[in-house]
Amino acid sequence: MWAIIRIHLEPGRFQIMDKPAPTHQTNIPTKKEALPREERQKQLEFQNEAVVHLHSLYNYALHITMNPDDAEDLVQETYLKAYRFFNSFERGTNCKAWLFKILKNNYINRFRKNSKEPGKVDYDLIKDFYHSIKDTRRDSSEADTDYFYSLLHEEVYQALLSLPEEFREVIQLCDIEGFTYEEIANMVDSPIGTVRSRLYRGRKLLRAQLEGYAKKYGLNTDNDQ
Amino acid sequence: MDCKTACVLMSAAVDGEISFTEEQDFLLHLSQCKRCREEFDDAKKTKMIIKERIIRFRAPQALITTIMQLTDFNTRETEETLLYE
Repeated sequence: MWAIIRIHLEPGRFQIMDKPAPTHQTNIPTKKEALPREERQKQLEFQNEAVVHLHSLYNYALHITMNPDDAEDLVQETYLKAYRFFNSFERGTNCKAWLFKILKNNYINRFRKNSKEPGKVDYDLIKDFYHSIKDTRRDSSEADTDYFYSLLHEEVYQALLSLPEEFREVIQLCDIEGFTYEEIANMVDSPIGTVRSRLYRGRKLLRAQLEGYAKKYGLNTDNDQ
Repeated sequence: MDCKTACVLMSAAVDGEISFTEEQDFLLHLSQCKRCREEFDDAKKTKMIIKERIIRFRAPQALITTIMQLTDFNTRETEETLLYE
């Protein structure tokens, strides 16, 4: 059954965020046939709009928490909140962006509650974690001789982690999750111009980090190939 | 367009978030400036390497089951349709 999770709402641009915080957990019906028709329709719509983004949400949660258990909790809280306030979701807008915003707010709220500082990560822990669950796929047929393409997940991931959070965040949202600048600006509560400049500077920093890895592993970093 | 303006537009050009007019001016500048051209190529490669090399994990089954129970009770069938097709 469902664990009781206290959910707090934060101010934000989405309609859901303007609702007062609920005082108790929504009762979720346990039998399909007992559901009212409207509830069933809501479920179906929620499946098609929101549940389809489960893997993306989990990956984002993993990236920001660096902990599989925290990531699971965060995603579960996000879906519970999203389902309860699904009527507030503006139809026709990007549901994935809406879910990410809820998840990010939950994450910030959790850090505030735990008096932790986001951005301070245990690199040994991350390394162990990723070694334990990493995909072993390696593209041995890679024809491109550019050193860039010789880098593997670990190097790229470590390079990404080494960036200050404000740069890492926009790169994740843009390059991994494929959000538009407008959606990212909404998620990080900054103007589009700021998103644009963070992406520019973040990619430059990332490039420098990747070159560092390439040199460390003796790969050719000449541009003229 | 000068290099400073080209730098401001660099990421937007990589991500297709640039207007048609801006893009024309930007490309014209690149054709005349080797340094900005190389930087643009680097930025595009950096985006590509992130997209290609960062591994995507599947959510754990227990989490999938929990979320599916929120919205449906024929969990297995619906789950496969929604998440794996």
